[in-house]
Amino acid sequence: MRLTTRQLTLCALLTAMALALSYLENLFPLAVPIPGVKLGLANIVTVFALYALGPRQSLMILAARCLLGAMFAGNMNALLFSLLGGLAAMLTMIGLVRLRRFSVYGVSVGGAAAHNCGQVAAAVLTLGSAAPLYYLPILLLVSLGTGTLTGLAASGLFQALGHTNLRYLIKE
Amino acid sequence: MRRLRSITLVLALVLGLTGCSAPPADPDTAEEHVQFLAMDTVMTLSLYGENRAEALSAAEDLIRSLEAKLSRTEEDSAVSRLNRGEAVELDEELDSLLSLAAFFRLATEGAFNIGVAPLASTWGFTTDHYQVPDPSEISRLVKVVEETWLRDSPEGHVLEPGQAIDLGGIAKGYAADKLAELFREREIPRAMASLGGNVLAWGNRPDGTPWRVGVQDPARPDDQSAFAGILSLKNAFAVTSGGYQRYFEEGGRVYHHILDPATGYPADSGLTSVTVVADYFPGESFGTLCDALSTAFFVMGEEDALDAWREDWSRDVDLVLVTEDGRVVITQGLAESFTLDEGSGYTLEIVS
Amino acid sequence: MKSSPKLRPNVWDALVVLAVLALAAGGALAVWSGGGDGTLTAVVTIDGEEADRFSPADLLEGPRTYTNNGYTLEVACGLRQLENPPPDHAPPAGEAGVRAAWADCPTQDCVRTGLITRSGQSIVCLPAGIIIRLEGGAAEDGGVDAVVG
Repeated sequence: MRLTTRQLTLCALLTAMALALSYLENLFPLAVPIPGVKLGLANIVTVFALYALGPRQSLMILAARCLLGAMFAGNMNALLFSLLGGLAAMLTMIGLVRLRRFSVYGVSVGGAAAHNCGQVAAAVLTLGSAAPLYYLPILLLVSLGTGTLTGLAASGLFQALGHTNLRYLIKE
Repeated sequence: MRRLRSITLVLALVLGLTGCSAPPADPDTAEEHVQFLAMDTVMTLSLYGENRAEALSAAEDLIRSLEAKLSRTEEDSAVSRLNRGEAVELDEELDSLLSLAAFFRLATEGAFNIGVAPLASTWGFTTDHYQVPDPSEISRLVKVVEETWLRDSPEGHVLEPGQAIDLGGIAKGYAADKLAELFREREIPRAMASLGGNVLAWGNRPDGTPWRVGVQDPARPDDQSAFAGILSLKNAFAVTSGGYQRYFEEGGRVYHHILDPATGYPADSGLTSVTVVADYFPGESFGTLCDALSTAFFVMGEEDALDAWREDWSRDVDLVLVTEDGRVVITQGLAESFTLDEGSGYTLEIVS
Repeated sequence: MKSSPKLRPNVWDALVVLAVLALAAGGALAVWSGGGDGTLTAVVTIDGEEADRFSPADLLEGPRTYTNNGYTLEVACGLRQLENPPPDHAPPAGEAGVRAAWADCPTQDCVRTGLITRSGQSIVCLPAGIIIRLEGGAAEDGGVDAVVG
């Protein structure tokens, strides 16, 4: 895939923002004793990228964010958590956007729920125990909150960009 | 060429970053749990980490084999044979444990003494048929206990007739030491072992915080949720001795199981419980030390215990003393890790 | 893709929320009730073998007795009185749990243990080789991992 300079810059900018958000969410630990499970604030970026740039570039941003985030944390175990969570969220959101019925809120909530499912799956894989499943219902309820929050942020963002044609960001 | 160089640079950076900041300890939170009766008490073990299953069964085997070796009630154990007056060749483990016991006895001026067994028997604490013995019998046995030392004989070590030893006061602490070594060898990231109130808090909790160990409120022994306070522990031993643990009533008086070897009667020192805490160090026997000292300090009472602590033990252990007059006295090292239960009604004192 | 996003929540979004709620409820049912993990359960072991498993509420129908090594232990339900009991005429309130109501062992340690109400607590009768342990139930804030004493 060839990227214009504008697209590349935007991707890099979004990756940096996603990383900052991943770092920020470390400040709000979940009341769930599974290491690696996070709120998923970085999904705000994924939602935006999905609408503005499309699935391919969103995927690249996601991969870069997960890899760099794990590197900065010095913990490659975290890579599986963020990748599985991020990928599950992204695939779900791509599906929801394609259906063309849902607003950013619905898409975000679906993504947040999938994000937590993916992370619990990662926990089950690394621990070799079904114990983390115990927390799935709680995490799903939490995801309603985080999803709405993400939706709110994304919708605010799009409103602020209302006068800007999103396509302008992509095409020279 | 330039591109190749930059790729190499990025690769080196990635490898370097991940390499030198090695991932933290195994974040494994999966638990394997067992509870069983041994050494005359209840053992509760919770192990975490990759090797938890094998380590758990090894730990149970270890405790059972120690029980077989150290028990007074097991017919064939070395201790039983010594108590029957037989000459016994001690293996290395028993030899070092008995040396430790002798050291603790000397270091505590007799407040801890494994030779107190005949006294415990006459009070019925070993058979569960409690009675208040005749005063003349007690003073006779106090002399016997005082003279109880293992002697060398051509066939091995031997006790005089009438003398007997009971390792109950250090066996659990010793087992905790052995468990710690086992956890270290098997790379167990975290574990909680409670050997009848002897606690080994290994690593930290699955959520990364220290283990929370409640110190039973001696005034409310029938409430398992009643604490004098809570200790936050990481890689540490904690042992409590208290008169409320085993006792009987006769003629309106309460007689508990911690006997003062000097008087032959239950220690009446103004303390209701003594908790001794020590950090784990490889190769040290601090679990055994905590076990022995908790008994000795309970017998000594607040003043003597704190004097002895300042003189000999303050570098290795810390204390939580609960007094009859409603105070909880902790030593300086626990100032950060002990939280008084506000509802317990005790007042907290910190000494150094 | 690259479609312009809908910015206001609509009925379809409610569907997503409902789906997540249904998933959470379904998951809760499957995970929490399946193994009995979520509800407080008393597990009785005799000489190391699991002999019985019941909910503390089952004791309302009557006490249960266990016999081993020639000793008998009677387990009944108990109620921990609240520190500030409700005013007169209110029904008794408190924390329900399990206690050894009666035993014929010489030590009576199990009876002295009193009431146990929380996961991880246990009543032990050494002479009879019986352990009654509470398992499951939500972890409680301020709870401890072990007790010395």
